[in-house]
Amino acid sequence: MLVCIAASGIAVGCSEPDGAARKHIGPGANREGDVELAAGAGTANREPGALKTVTSAPVHDWTGPGDQPFEVALRTSERESGHARRFGSVTLQTALRARLLQQYPCTSCHLGRKLVMAGKRVADAHQDIRPVHPEQTGAHCSTCHASEDVEQLTLESGERATLDETYRLCAQCHFRQTDAWAQGAHGKRLDGWQGRRVVMGCADCHDPHAPALAQRIPFRAPQLERSRGPDK
Amino acid sequence: MTRDSTPDKQDAQDGTMLQKSVDRRHALKVLAGGLAAGVQAVSACAPLSAASDEEREIRVLAWQEYIKGNYRFMTEAERAETIARLERLAQLRRGEDVTIQTTGAQPGVVFGYAFNISKCKGFRRCVEACINENNLDRRADTQYIRIFEMEDGVINLDEADATFQHEVPAEGHFYMGTQCFQCADPPCVKVCPVKATWQEPDGITVVDYDWCIGCRYCIAACPYWARRFNWSAAEVPVEEVNPNQHYLGNRARKTGVVEKCTFCIHRTRQGRLPACAEACPTGARVFGNLLDPDSEIRWVLANKRVFRLKEDLKTEPRFWYFTD
Repeated sequence: MLVCIAASGIAVGCSEPDGAARKHIGPGANREGDVELAAGAGTANREPGALKTVTSAPVHDWTGPGDQPFEVALRTSERESGHARRFGSVTLQTALRARLLQQYPCTSCHLGRKLVMAGKRVADAHQDIRPVHPEQTGAHCSTCHASEDVEQLTLESGERATLDETYRLCAQCHFRQTDAWAQGAHGKRLDGWQGRRVVMGCADCHDPHAPALAQRIPFRAPQLERSRGPDK
Repeated sequence: MTRDSTPDKQDAQDGTMLQKSVDRRHALKVLAGGLAAGVQAVSACAPLSAASDEEREIRVLAWQEYIKGNYRFMTEAERAETIARLERLAQLRRGEDVTIQTTGAQPGVVFGYAFNISKCKGFRRCVEACINENNLDRRADTQYIRIFEMEDGVINLDEADATFQHEVPAEGHFYMGTQCFQCADPPCVKVCPVKATWQEPDGITVVDYDWCIGCRYCIAACPYWARRFNWSAAEVPVEEVNPNQHYLGNRARKTGVVEKCTFCIHRTRQGRLPACAEACPTGARVFGNLLDPDSEIRWVLANKRVFRLKEDLKTEPRFWYFTD
């Protein structure tokens, strides 16, 4: 079942950009071409085997961000540094995110994978980013993005995290939210209440650069007036 | 196209039966005698000239549906029969290809729901999902879920606005959703004069639409305004019908029956989340098994500040509100 989804959503035959192929972790990386590309670019799969993907069944009737087909490869929490060990007994899985980075991989501009642009030039190159969060917190690019490899995140400890692991980054300040998230009380849920429990990661809902959810027009209001008792 | 109407023995017998002044119960008994008898009986009563095969089949099936028993007292075989009839009727009447389940409650499961009033932003995505999932009447625009907009600091449903239609979340407001709370001691069940509504072992209060007489006592009894009445049969465009249905849930509703939220019984009994919880883009809705100590809902109850609506009424809702 996963194969169908991967075919329609992510790996669109040969038209796939190189950067996307390089980014593949999981099922896609098993294909010969990807492995070659990855080796050629010197970005062999980080920590082989560390990111386990579950390829059993797709999430029910759900499409990912922007209503695009979303690959349902899931992180299991078997990984030692995962939240399952840190937060408790519930085993939650998060939807993977790094593979969505296809059309404009960071390395298409950040040659040599270096994070060199600074100051006002950031606004020129990244017009889509509203740096609300950095302004609030006094952060700059390299507070969160690893400066030697822009497609990775950097933690306060100096550790690196993949884009699938935004929760590790966010948890450094938003520990209460992370706690609730790891227990299934925060974050959009996918799939069922029983068996596999899947929750979306931080950056799937919150724009990391402007985390507050934007205002929207709601779905239509009810037509039927509610009863308010005899005196109303 | 008309059926060969040569009267045989059975037909004649039924005919005489109907001409005699018999009491209704006896007549029903005879007519319920079986499919063959039923077909012939109805053919005998109906104007044969105008009836096509399909019309006749609908008439027979509708009649058999009319005289069937209460769902709770049906045997497995009877349930299978009524499912077959309902699916066929949906096909014949509305051209819908539906599957109706009778999935029972899982042992060791009681459903609970928690709603985060700090998280809800009033987008009403849950309402939209509920309408689509449960085949709610598009004509009357039935909605199970209601999202109230309230000013910060006050929880007063009388002053709250459920009909807001502006960009949300509005400054200085919070949002609180209501639906059926699946009370542990439901007043709606107590007042039903015909026992057409009851609580299932997993805590979901359901309605047998074919047993409901439409008296609406339950609507009056519910302190949460959770039930809806069908003034006319639910109308859903064929292409929008959700074919995954449950006998006690989202199957077609007819005129004059009461319906309600069932926590998406057709989904949750198969381990899936209710449509509202799955649709919520903010993660404000937490659903799970109250009897499982590792479930998310139990974590919320143990670790968050929770309250229930109109708790003083002692209906024991299985629906909690909480804040971050």
